Amino acid sequence: MTIFIGLINGMISAATPILLSALGGALTYYAGIFNIAMEGMMLSGAFFAVLGSYYFGNWLIGMLFGILGALLIAGIFILFSVVLKVDEFVTGVGLNMFSVGLTTYLLRQIFKVKGAFTDPGIYSVPKIRLPFIEKIPFVGDIISDQNLIVWIAFIATLLVNYFVFKTQFGLRLRAAGYNRICLDTSGVSSNKIKTVSLLLCAVLCGFAGTYLSLGYVTLFSENMSAGRGWISLAAVILVSGNPIGIALVSLLFGLADGLGLYLQHIFPSQFTSMLPYIATLAALFFYSVNNKKKMEVKL
Amino acid sequence: MTESVRRDDNLTSLIEINHLVKIFPPNVVALNDVSVDFQEGEIHAIVGENGAGKSTLMKILYGMIPADSGEILYRGKPIHFANPGEAIRSKIGMVHQEILLIPQYTVWENVILGMEPLGKFNRIHRDLARKQVQDRIDEFQFNLDPDAKVEDLSVAARQKVEILKLLYRDVTFLILDEPTAVLTPQEIPQLFDELRRLRNNGHTIAFISHHLDEVLELSDRISVLRKGKKVATIPASQTSESLLAEMMVGREVVFESIKETVRPGKLIFRLQNIRLQSPNKKKLLDDVNIEVKAGEIVGIAGVEGNGQLELVEVITGLATPDQGQLLINGVNLTKASILERRKYMAFVPQDRALMGSCLNASIKENLIMTHYKLNPEFTRHGHILNDKKSTEFAYEIREKFDIQLHSIEDEMKSLSGGNQQKVILGRELLLSAPFILLDQPTRGLDVGSIEYVHQQIIRMSKENRAILLLSSDLEELFRITDRILVLHRGQIVANLITNETNINEVGYLMLEGAAHGA
Amino acid sequence: MAHNLRNILINLAGILIAFLLGAVVMIFQGYNPLETYEALFGYSLGNTYSFMTVLKNSVPLILTGLSASVAFASGPVNLGQPGQLLMGALFATVGGLYVNLPSVLMIPFLLVSAMVGGALWSGIAGLLKRLFNMDEYITTLMMNMIADFFTYWAITYPFFEKNANHPQTPRITKNGWMPEIGDFNTNFLVTLIVFVIIWFIFYRTTNGYEWRISGKNSLFARLGGVEIEKNYMHVMLLTGALAGLAGGLIIMAGPHRFIKGLGANYAWDGIMVSMVANNGIVATLIYGIFFSILQTGALGMELITQVPSELITVLQAVIVLVVVASRGYFTLLLSKMMTKRKLKERSA
Repeated sequence: MTIFIGLINGMISAATPILLSALGGALTYYAGIFNIAMEGMMLSGAFFAVLGSYYFGNWLIGMLFGILGALLIAGIFILFSVVLKVDEFVTGVGLNMFSVGLTTYLLRQIFKVKGAFTDPGIYSVPKIRLPFIEKIPFVGDIISDQNLIVWIAFIATLLVNYFVFKTQFGLRLRAAGYNRICLDTSGVSSNKIKTVSLLLCAVLCGFAGTYLSLGYVTLFSENMSAGRGWISLAAVILVSGNPIGIALVSLLFGLADGLGLYLQHIFPSQFTSMLPYIATLAALFFYSVNNKKKMEVKL
Repeated sequence: MTESVRRDDNLTSLIEINHLVKIFPPNVVALNDVSVDFQEGEIHAIVGENGAGKSTLMKILYGMIPADSGEILYRGKPIHFANPGEAIRSKIGMVHQEILLIPQYTVWENVILGMEPLGKFNRIHRDLARKQVQDRIDEFQFNLDPDAKVEDLSVAARQKVEILKLLYRDVTFLILDEPTAVLTPQEIPQLFDELRRLRNNGHTIAFISHHLDEVLELSDRISVLRKGKKVATIPASQTSESLLAEMMVGREVVFESIKETVRPGKLIFRLQNIRLQSPNKKKLLDDVNIEVKAGEIVGIAGVEGNGQLELVEVITGLATPDQGQLLINGVNLTKASILERRKYMAFVPQDRALMGSCLNASIKENLIMTHYKLNPEFTRHGHILNDKKSTEFAYEIREKFDIQLHSIEDEMKSLSGGNQQKVILGRELLLSAPFILLDQPTRGLDVGSIEYVHQQIIRMSKENRAILLLSSDLEELFRITDRILVLHRGQIVANLITNETNINEVGYLMLEGAAHGA
Repeated sequence: MAHNLRNILINLAGILIAFLLGAVVMIFQGYNPLETYEALFGYSLGNTYSFMTVLKNSVPLILTGLSASVAFASGPVNLGQPGQLLMGALFATVGGLYVNLPSVLMIPFLLVSAMVGGALWSGIAGLLKRLFNMDEYITTLMMNMIADFFTYWAITYPFFEKNANHPQTPRITKNGWMPEIGDFNTNFLVTLIVFVIIWFIFYRTTNGYEWRISGKNSLFARLGGVEIEKNYMHVMLLTGALAGLAGGLIIMAGPHRFIKGLGANYAWDGIMVSMVANNGIVATLIYGIFFSILQTGALGMELITQVPSELITVLQAVIVLVVVASRGYFTLLLSKMMTKRKLKERSA
């Protein structure tokens, strides 16, 4: 039983950063942006979260800094691809590398270390205890004592779903993706919508990054986003941006990750670490085969 | 026939455009000191050939592109719209040639986009929105279902949605860019009735077209543009088609057939019992039979969306039919690869940029496509390109087709539309293939280029090639074809000899699928 | 031709702007930019030994750059160079551990093994696209991570060097080491030969013609009779082989064994090179060497002026972003200028 609970907790833990950045990716997806910079936003968020937390001795400021770190990357993305009309793919790849370079450089310059920075002076984001619920067997063990950011991820899913499908913002957001020119001639600047979607994406990726360095573990290591941005990209594409779908897919990946940790007793750790990426390939396989059937007759 | 003009000379000038100039780099002067005025409550047509500057003029007025010099006055005050949003706020709206709607959204969502009625927390007030849209539909008698998805609507209905969208914003000056281009002859009167209703209601309408008979029927005044200059503004009652045509082109234009009757040779192209179904069982092509003999030019008429796309795909090899055969010179090519077909077939596609050429490649590189695969002179040892031959060939085509270019190494996109089409024609016609498929070959070209293309097509028929021509331009079909087939809902509903039919009969068949009175 | 000159100038302008931005950052941090840049270039170009090192280090950048350039210019979005490089390196290592032939045969054998390793890895992604329509930019990215873990496992268990402190393989046979002529490493020679071959294929053969046209407008190519699917696989295999070769040469010219953290970073740098080069083959060679000058000089820069070498990583990314942005911006600017000039002509 405890194993099962451990697995579920592991699943939730691993799913959270993917869910958050995928929600951000969904917003940019709906806006019609080809955004592969989530990896860079997350990494930057992770670094600056540690920076803020360490220097101000406060996890809340750390979280704020994490968001600012991601916003930095998004800001450059906006400047290049919305204002200067640079190809979004190139901008994304360039920014991911910029983020790696920047965080590695600052790790060295500010913390004077290479590889990783860890210190008891880094304050992590707390878990939330729910005193009544924790008494419920099984369910209580899962719901109570989850990190604050896990709750943020849960609420974000509901909020994104509401905003995208029920509000004026959502109507315009999706219109920007479906037919940008139509939106512009309707009197709404599609560039503004794109900019807003990138900023919101950064906020969500900032939370994701903060979770990595102040929640999951309490440290920053070079390139610690470790390809999660790619997985969240795959998640967005698999469900065509749908927020609830993203939540389910993220849990699936989280499961693969958690399972991997669990199986480390049996298989060499390198193979178990591969699981989330293999799971992504498998999911993409089912999605593509399904789509191919639909497209075959459409010509 | 022109409606009697019910105006007096004391009408106020709603919009005055003075000395407008617009240049597209590097050296295209789209508007050369153009001045036009629009009076309140009139229907004012802007006519001219393709490239005369009509769309450019209206796009500047609407704030979509900036002018390089000149001024625009609105009720006497100078205005400048930085974007369409500002124009709309001044009650000026434009319906574009390409329908600009969100296909995945419903009618009401499309209409309110940008002006949504809101509730709390930015939530859209759905019921209020639907009601407001329904009210407008009723007011102008538009006959639309607000909950229908735009992607399910006919083109004429989508056009109505576009107009509705502007009316929802209380637009009083409506600009329509070639609205009849996508309608059948039978759908046009309904549109005109709606426009007249709007005018009588106090709205002002600017109407861009190159269809002179429609313009004479509908408008109060007509302004003629030619090559970026305004030639004249004249009341419709004081002019005629031939006068307008002369002003548009600068010389007399002939409206009759230029094709000599030919005695057809042997059967070259044959489509037999072709059937194609979509996944949800919709019949895209339904028992299509087409025959083209050597020396014949056969035209296919039809409203866009009745199977033309699928027909082209089946012939070119982008799609395989569910049933039926394709034979050229007796060879069964139904399931053959595209390369295999190209040995027998030249193809001038509808879309120059997407299918007919590679804009970012050089002119020379565009010209050798397909040739290098079929003619060993273009390669050495099979895989190495013979640059000398490519260059020779490029110059040969330039000569034969009189292409205006600076260097064959220049990018394709540096050429004008007419010259690009010449490059494509040159490449395809020189393939010495027995069968030629042409899809809207003169769309978007100026009268001079259209004339040239028609001459080339007729020359090909004299060389005994079999030619199949898809065209939405009925005038063109009547000008150069021997026979006209009508495509309706995936079926060939008529096989007419061009000399023995007329535009109205064909137009009726295109819409109804059966002859008038049947 | 003027059009090519214009592109080169625009690129140079972009690089200059990037260096200026770098200078600003340095001033902000209290370093002297002139001294720093002097140290940077002085260290890498100052003497023959340094320059030979630059050339040696440029090999993985050029080869992965060519891999990315050929792929992007032809259509397939192959972002799998990091994984293909690792697999190529692994294949070369295993070949070098279990086979022993005289140098003259051993070296080509290892080079081919490396290419096979890389091509295999990219080929899988290509097949997944061909058979199941799985987009290669995601599959290649996932396979990078999988290759990373797989090679890590390989050097930790089956090919592990006993008694080593870190995961690594034993050294490959000396017959597989790339020979050196003085300070010059022949890996660069191999690279130049490969470069010429690729250039020829890309610009002078029907295959290269088809790839280039397919990359710019695949529908047009298809309608012209080009076999898009076959070409797709060819490009995937070829570009995978190039990245694999890069990995193999790292082993054969460098540590002569597979160590953890081998240098998959080179592959991402190679992708950046192709972006700055705008997928041009000759430009890729030049920028590959240029980036190597920066990277090799970075260590010297740090020794002399204490500016951390990691700044170069940031500078590289900035160069990519700025060059690509300025390309778009300057083209726009030129159009505007031409309009103004035309207007002037008319009113005169």
